Amino acid sequence: MLRGLPLLLLFIIGIALGLIYSWAVNPVNLVDAAPASLRADYRADYVLMIAESFHANHDAGLARQELAIFGVQAPATICASALETAIQVGYSQADRSLIQELARAMQADSPIATPAGARP
Amino acid sequence: MSRLWWLWLPALVAGFVLGRSSAWMLSSIRHVDAAPNALRADFKDQFRAALASSYSATHNLDRARARLVLLGDPDPVAALSAQAQRMLAAGRSFQLARDLAVLAADLHQAGPGLPLVAAAATSSGAGSAAAQLPSATPAISSTPSVAAAPLLESPTAQVASTQLDLNTPTARPTRTPIETPRAPFQLVGQDNECSTSLTEGLLQIVVFDNHRQQMPGVDITIAWDGGEQHFFTGLKPEIGNGYADYIMERGVTYSLRVAQTGTPISGLTRPSCPDSTAQAYTGGLKLTFQQP
Repeated sequence: MLRGLPLLLLFIIGIALGLIYSWAVNPVNLVDAAPASLRADYRADYVLMIAESFHANHDAGLARQELAIFGVQAPATICASALETAIQVGYSQADRSLIQELARAMQADSPIATPAGARP
Repeated sequence: MSRLWWLWLPALVAGFVLGRSSAWMLSSIRHVDAAPNALRADFKDQFRAALASSYSATHNLDRARARLVLLGDPDPVAALSAQAQRMLAAGRSFQLARDLAVLAADLHQAGPGLPLVAAAATSSGAGSAAAQLPSATPAISSTPSVAAAPLLESPTAQVASTQLDLNTPTARPTRTPIETPRAPFQLVGQDNECSTSLTEGLLQIVVFDNHRQQMPGVDITIAWDGGEQHFFTGLKPEIGNGYADYIMERGVTYSLRVAQTGTPISGLTRPSCPDSTAQAYTGGLKLTFQQP
């Protein structure tokens, strides 16, 4: 059994070298990520950027278009998630207010489902 | 044992391959929580566009700079200028291209002295630098307001979970925009460029800041009878960051303005240059602008 020990040791050393090479010497750089894969705080900051613009131009259509970068999620949901993150990570009250303002606008701008047969 | 010596190298190589593959797989998992610098190029463009619009609204240069750092561009000013040019060339919104160009120009003018709030943001594990961004650079002062806008019915459970907070009266920000002081550019040189190697009617523009540094992203408007065109400096960085050019048509008189506040320079036409045999040929013009 001891005869295979050096081989096993070399195998383990190889794994260690592979990991060190991949993390320290030549890190694996995955690029071309989609915005939906951004970390929650980066997503929240992106939403804040849109909120800052929205506060100045009040263009809900443009804000909706910019929020579409995150994919199929409803803009109001994206804003709500961003607001939750903003609260968790301690954004200033002013920044949270901006996101809230955008969230309200996105909710107000959302089409509200009317039950079939119901009169408007 | 000595009989197995020839297996040592394969064992080491197999271990290395396994280690490398494991690292790749682990990185793939971490990719779910990606940083903006890992975004695809077109998404980075959208990020820059949103950033420029935000800057146009807030004039918070520290915050804009910190956000730009997240993208990991080697030269953020050049990246902004290039995107402005691409958007103009693609016929996209001029306002957006202008926002990008203005941000590029302001960053250039501010120089490298501003604090890089999110310098550590691209390295993971050191806390949430991006999260610190909004609270780290307070440019908006708040004043309490009693008005709370009513919310419509929440369409999803996730929105409902924050509805309480949304309904709570909150302090609304009062903007205190800080306008970047910008003295109008002055024409400091207007020279005929007479050279047969030069493209006929080439109008060259070079824009310097008050430190005699070439300025990229400066909005230039050229107008003629019945038309107008916008372009920016910095499209040809191999010539100069503050360089831009335009081909003037024969028989057309142009006026040109640098930045929105500049005084228009009118009466620009293709110059006529004499050659050694007293024949005339069409030369070019070179205009040099500088901020006082």
